[in-house]
Amino acid sequence: MITKRVFNAAFKASLPVLMGYLAMGMASGILLAKTVSIPCLPLWAFLTSAVNISGAFQFLLVDWVKNTTVLFQVVLLTICLNLRYAMYGFSLLERFKKVPLLQKLYLIWALTDETYAIQVANKVPEGEDSVSYCLTVAALDHFYWFAGVTAGAIIGGSLPFNCQGIDFAMTALFLVVLVDQCKERINRMPAVIGGVIALIWGLTAGVDRMLLPAIPCVLVVLFLFRKKLLKEKTA
Amino acid sequence: MSEMTQYLILLLLVTGATNYFLRAFPFLLFGTAQKPPAAVTELGTLISPAAIAMLVVYCYCSCFKEISFADKFFGIAEWSAGIVVVLLHLWRGNPLLSIIAGTAVYMVMIQKIVPLLA
Repeated sequence: MITKRVFNAAFKASLPVLMGYLAMGMASGILLAKTVSIPCLPLWAFLTSAVNISGAFQFLLVDWVKNTTVLFQVVLLTICLNLRYAMYGFSLLERFKKVPLLQKLYLIWALTDETYAIQVANKVPEGEDSVSYCLTVAALDHFYWFAGVTAGAIIGGSLPFNCQGIDFAMTALFLVVLVDQCKERINRMPAVIGGVIALIWGLTAGVDRMLLPAIPCVLVVLFLFRKKLLKEKTA
Repeated sequence: MSEMTQYLILLLLVTGATNYFLRAFPFLLFGTAQKPPAAVTELGTLISPAAIAMLVVYCYCSCFKEISFADKFFGIAEWSAGIVVVLLHLWRGNPLLSIIAGTAVYMVMIQKIVPLLA
């Protein structure tokens, strides 16, 4: 049951995503409309974005459609780009354990970087249910994304106002969640480990190739030192 | 049905399945288990801060992709906006305020101030 309080809290938490997704989504929809000419273009923009709900992916998709890239290659590229999604679920296993199947299937489907960050922050009003909060955030973010992409595909031209830089809202959202997380001692070392390893790969492999090697490295380091890292809790 | 439409349908199905599989992966492995192994639960609690920190670094690296390291004002918009977000959030603890203020600073910097410096 999604109460009004839960909806309001979820909507407020999702506002930065509204800004970011609409702007980024529209940009990718416009790019699609400008690059390829296919029948029912807005419909395809809607379907691909509603099914995949993935930012950088939506931009790459434009290239794939343009070049009719071999599907095998598409799968490999998608895995490289979005391997991080496979990491998020590990930290949500416990929380989503008792969630009814259909709702769980939807939460998995709608899992994005931004939705994950809001779910980690988990600012549920007191006495309300965390699962309804997560569901509402997921559905709102999902809607913002396909609405943005579809609108961009329909407009097909430039945006009516200069919104260059509005996508920084996503970076700011992650920063805010990181600051909150680091208020707890136990989270500090894992955050340093994730940040430093990502930075090393970012500097050596370049931004487009950094996450693929960085994710396994972080997971291995966290796994090997998990006992030590978890001891911080009592320290 | 045209060849393009066939390709688009296949593309939609293949990418949708791949992305869903990635997102469902941990749940497929341990979702039905009565209790996942302790090591997995432990890893799970450590992943969230590490993943969020990785996302921050990833966003910053993406921002810097088009700026030269040699630039005298390297990343000035990104750094100042980031500092505004962090300080404001430590001070007031209001996520929306921190995010909107930081984004506004970034937009003004990148649209008005950085072009003047260049």
